[in-house]
Amino acid sequence: MDNLTFMMGKFPAELPGDLLYATTNHMWCRPVGSRYRFGFTSYAVRLMQDVYFLDWVVNAGDTVHHLQQIGHIETSKAVADLFAPMAGTIVAFNRELLKDPSAINVDKYGAGWLFEMEGDARHLRTAAEYHQFLTDNWEKTQRLIKGKINLED
Amino acid sequence: MSRHRLTVVLSQAPGKNPTKRALEESIVAALITEPGLDVSVVPYLYDLDANHTGRLFLESITGDMVVLAWMFPRAAFWVLDRDGIKGHFGESRLKPPAADDDEEDGEPEPPRGIGSVNVPDRYIYCLDLRDFASHEPYVQEVRRIAEECRQRYEAKQRERAQANPPLVQLGLSVRADEPPSPPPLSPAAGERGRGEGAPHFKPEDLLKPPERRWYPVIDYSRCTNCMECIDFCLFGVYGVDQFDRIFVENQDNCKRGCPACSRVCPEHAIMFPDYKTPAIAGAPVGGISGLKIDLTKLFGGDDAIKIAAAERDRELIKDGRQAVGLTVGIPKRQAAKPQQPKDDLDKLVDSLDALDI
Repeated sequence: MDNLTFMMGKFPAELPGDLLYATTNHMWCRPVGSRYRFGFTSYAVRLMQDVYFLDWVVNAGDTVHHLQQIGHIETSKAVADLFAPMAGTIVAFNRELLKDPSAINVDKYGAGWLFEMEGDARHLRTAAEYHQFLTDNWEKTQRLIKGKINLED
Repeated sequence: MSRHRLTVVLSQAPGKNPTKRALEESIVAALITEPGLDVSVVPYLYDLDANHTGRLFLESITGDMVVLAWMFPRAAFWVLDRDGIKGHFGESRLKPPAADDDEEDGEPEPPRGIGSVNVPDRYIYCLDLRDFASHEPYVQEVRRIAEECRQRYEAKQRERAQANPPLVQLGLSVRADEPPSPPPLSPAAGERGRGEGAPHFKPEDLLKPPERRWYPVIDYSRCTNCMECIDFCLFGVYGVDQFDRIFVENQDNCKRGCPACSRVCPEHAIMFPDYKTPAIAGAPVGGISGLKIDLTKLFGGDDAIKIAAAERDRELIKDGRQAVGLTVGIPKRQAAKPQQPKDDLDKLVDSLDALDI
């Protein structure tokens, strides 16, 4: 499948074609055996910018429901709570990130992965569908969200 | 004209983290030999109740003060204010290494809050011990502050000397000859017996480990006395004082871990210094670094009011009471607000609403 690029103004957000996407969480998902590995999409990272602090409020092994709060993040531009991208069990967190979260910025689709889950991945979407989701919403938000971020650049 | 002295109080981290203890000890060791400083150590500021010797000691300090604590400076300053240990906010030049200094958006916004009351003429500087791993930056900043305080003090003495002589001659002022307050005792420095009648604080009492506490802290430089917190909290934490000002009346009624009232505060004036989200723990907002955008909704979360109501329901149920959801004490600001022009943040939030995600 082709890689897609979503243009956030001048910034190209790359969306690898071989990944699935949790659209409302702005996370990518890579099936690894029976597990699903999640990380932030390029779109999310561009909005947040440099990650300063990442914290989880559930433990590996915990069962979570879809959109249950599982952690929070502080970056140079934003704070946000983080939510489970699907229902299931969080099997493992990327422990390296707790020491140094910068991989989220440097290698978002690789070493910057966040956690692995087992569970129901039915509602995850393809890169094309996520691209469409971003396109549909970008019209409404880009002037304000990106405008504010750029003001502070 | 007596020499100006500066009291330095180091507030320990809760627990026994050896790295934190080591930093605390190296700061004290470096400062204790500095002239003009009285150095003391107390437990974690936020945990000190009204009867703790550390609190009584803090209350006995009358002059300028530097407080080093493991929390955001705003939080430490307003914890002290609530405890009646008041002063003007001393501006620290100490900035964490990660702070973006290239982002100044010009003038910081003028404070909109109601401010504190009965603020004595002294300054309290709060430094965050989480900013640096070594003692040097703290020692340097304390030296700088000591010099700033000394100059301010001497300028005031000169002013007073110029303004007062005629009054003294007429016998109308008793203040001109009054010596400045004696410096407080400094148990950690082992100095004793100075000052007249000041209570003596034994180091072992001063450092007695307090129980952990959990309660909201109001930043009155932001609080507009809108009373939304008192309407929202169903646990009797908030009250009003004799000036009809909101205050945290029953601190220990608060529910450990619950930051709900902080989320409903329209001015972000309520802090929980130990809460994990920096914005709630008292991270600097406005001014230089600018308010960080809350992208929670973008990542699939509910809005702050819904989260707050859910947190409150959880505590109500734990107490064997009925959950009330969004039916009680939910800010009516939606009804009151439309006539105000929207600012950028309002627009941003509106845009997230429009997303319908």
